Amino acid sequence: MSKIRDLSLQSKISSIYIITNLLVVMVNIVLLIGINSMSGRLDMVYQDNRHLNEFSDAVNALQDNMTSYLNVKTSDSLENYYRSDSLCREMVADLNEEVTGSSFDRMERNIRHMTEGYLEEVASTIEAKRGRNVEKYRVHYENATRMYDYIGTYISNLNMEQFRSNSERYSELLQRFRLFEAASVIAIVLVMCSNVCIIISFVGAVIRPVKKLAGQADEVAKGNFDIALLPVESQDEVGVVTGAFNSMVVSIGRYIEQLRESMEAERALKERELLMEGHLKDARLKYLQAQINPHFLFNTLNAGAQLSMMEGADRTYEYIQKVAQFYRYNMKKSEETVTVAEEVEMVDSYIYILNVRFAGDIHYEKRIDESLLSVEMPGMILQPIVENCVNHGIREMGDKGVISLSLYEKEGQVCISVKDNGVGMSAETIEKVLNGAYREEDMASGGNGVGMDNVISRMKLFTGNENVMTVKSEGEGKGTEVSLYLPKPAEKEEYGGKHEPL
Amino acid sequence: MMNTIKNKLASHRRKDKNPGIMPGFVAFLSVVCVVFTVVMAIYVLWFYQGSYQEETAGEIYDRYYIMITQDDKSSFWQSVYQGACERALQENVYVDWLGNDQLQDYSVEEQMEIAIASGVDGIIVTADESDEMTALIDQAVAQGIPVVTLYGDNTRSARCSFVGVGGYNLGREYGRQTLEIVREKLAGTTEQQLFVGQEDASEVEIEMVEVGTAARPIRVTLLVNSYANSLEQNIIYSGIQETIEQDKGDTVIELSLQSVDDTNAFSVEESVRDIFMEGNIPDILICLNELNTTCAYQAVVDYNKVGTVSILGHYISDTILNAIDRNVIYATVDINTPQMGGFCIDALQEYHDLGYTSQYFTADISLISKENVEEYLREEETENDE
Repeated sequence: MSKIRDLSLQSKISSIYIITNLLVVMVNIVLLIGINSMSGRLDMVYQDNRHLNEFSDAVNALQDNMTSYLNVKTSDSLENYYRSDSLCREMVADLNEEVTGSSFDRMERNIRHMTEGYLEEVASTIEAKRGRNVEKYRVHYENATRMYDYIGTYISNLNMEQFRSNSERYSELLQRFRLFEAASVIAIVLVMCSNVCIIISFVGAVIRPVKKLAGQADEVAKGNFDIALLPVESQDEVGVVTGAFNSMVVSIGRYIEQLRESMEAERALKERELLMEGHLKDARLKYLQAQINPHFLFNTLNAGAQLSMMEGADRTYEYIQKVAQFYRYNMKKSEETVTVAEEVEMVDSYIYILNVRFAGDIHYEKRIDESLLSVEMPGMILQPIVENCVNHGIREMGDKGVISLSLYEKEGQVCISVKDNGVGMSAETIEKVLNGAYREEDMASGGNGVGMDNVISRMKLFTGNENVMTVKSEGEGKGTEVSLYLPKPAEKEEYGGKHEPL
Repeated sequence: MMNTIKNKLASHRRKDKNPGIMPGFVAFLSVVCVVFTVVMAIYVLWFYQGSYQEETAGEIYDRYYIMITQDDKSSFWQSVYQGACERALQENVYVDWLGNDQLQDYSVEEQMEIAIASGVDGIIVTADESDEMTALIDQAVAQGIPVVTLYGDNTRSARCSFVGVGGYNLGREYGRQTLEIVREKLAGTTEQQLFVGQEDASEVEIEMVEVGTAARPIRVTLLVNSYANSLEQNIIYSGIQETIEQDKGDTVIELSLQSVDDTNAFSVEESVRDIFMEGNIPDILICLNELNTTCAYQAVVDYNKVGTVSILGHYISDTILNAIDRNVIYATVDINTPQMGGFCIDALQEYHDLGYTSQYFTADISLISKENVEEYLREEETENDE
């Protein structure tokens, strides 16, 4: 079966024609053999009668020749007698000698024996005639004639019987011939039908995969790549094409999938970039809004610092120097990645400025794990948080306000915690702050314009995590703790190397 | 997406390993099978029928005998031939009956000549005592063909055996039956004691005579064939005569011979009718063959002599049995014909094997009258049914 499947298309189609033609030829041969043997049989039907008639003619000729010789005694007639005698003897030898169940055979046997006796009698007659023994040849002649008569009767009887039986046989044969004719017609019709069936089914079997292939190709042409693959039923040309088609569909599908994935990635990347850019712009805009010509301010402050130094006012000098440093950092570092140490220094400066401003109202505590100071983080993160603590937490507390800054490692992350003992926050407010929905009047509060939502967004972008900040407050008047979480850099790997600088 | 495609490919590879059978090829195979079965069946059937006929006649027999009988296709001879055939086939011998359908126009003597010329292994012939027959039998024996005479003998010839019915015994049986009829007739007529003497239309003279006296003896006629051998008939006649003489007592019984002309075809029937045309119609008719019996029976019916003329028949046939059943024929003698045929074959076989055989074979006879005819009719019926 598999061998047939693996034949080429040409062989398959050729084999259909060969098989159907062979079938027709074979049936025709069978029918021809049948008709041939049938007609042979019909020819043979009356052969017995013909033989018998020939024999009868020979015996008649012998009797005639004998009578003729007895009449005229010419050498011609004697010669004729000898000729017919030998002919008769030849023919007698062919006759049946066995006693069988067939009456024809027995009659033939009797004819044989009688003819043999008759031939002897005739020979004796001729002999006696030649010896001029008148008495003897008369007796022999009478005997011979009587036997001739019996033989004639027997032959005609046998002939008649045989003819009757042969006629029956002939009509029987003829009947069978008609039957055979009908059977032949049926056989031919049957063969024709079977050939039609064979061709239809065979061609159908060959064409079916092509049809399926065409249907699938049509589907693909319409853009539907999500189709069932065709089974490869054979190893012929159609099978090869089907296999190739399947591979093609799979390849195209795979290619489209790859394309889609890369596009998706690109789109995500772009989206992220755009988002970052948007936040940065937002921060920068707010920052610029908050600045009035910082260079002029620095120069002015520097001039003030130099003046106070020259006047020997060391504390003023230091104060102006810190303010200048604070603003310079603000301007310079807001768009870069900075170290935690720089941010902590920034907070120190800010607290110092505030304490000068508010006459040392704020108590500032630091617990720093020195090893973590080199961790990188986005700039302008801690200062806005501390500013919030001061503005919202401890402003009204006079000299009792405490802000503590901690840097430590917790559960594999770097944690920066800013804690105050101020008014605290309600859970709803915390929720709002963390969701970025709490956008209170940043500008009006007199801060540098960087809001908590901005801080959170930049932290998220920087770390790529969602959990970057927690705000805890145990209730009104019990203070607030804001904790930032940075991923701990892997050893020997520069922290933030994978990320684009903000 | 990638995974699903891989799965698809894998599943198709699995499918490829286990392919379905091509429906087209199955159809093709089945159709071819059907067509060839049909064609071959027709051809073989036809061929077998054709050759069958030629094979049936294949058996070869050791010996070949010929049976020659005087007449006819009567059931008597057919039964004899049947018996001979059955016995012969057991011995692997074939018997042909020349008088059966071939060569019917030839006389017994001519048929004898044919049989001799045919060089058969044995001849069974219903002979007579003619010189010609004697010569023919002697000729056959001289050529090494044993001859058995059947039913009719030729005592002077060199025939090896005679198969027949014991003529004397047959005659005595007929005699006993005749006396039986006479007794019944006398018993039936004692009250009337009347008998119609003359039935001449012009001379109506009715005599009142007592039956069985010298004035009006009981007439018994034996139908003999003029052509057939007289010796056998004479023995039967004497058998009848002796029996009647012994037991007739005071009753006067007149036994006569009436010759029936059987030389020509159909002449028997005419001869039998002639008896009824004459004045002296016998009281009892004794027939010695089946044909005579049937003719006499028909004549009695036609001439309205049922009850007046009693017939003693010979052999059984449907007609004869029915006639007994209807009281037209008083009784008939049945000869065991198959046994007779069998004896012929036995005699010839014995002669071939041993060089001699018994000179006489006598077939059994049995009487069928009103009392036991039912039995025979039943037998006939069952045979016919079969």
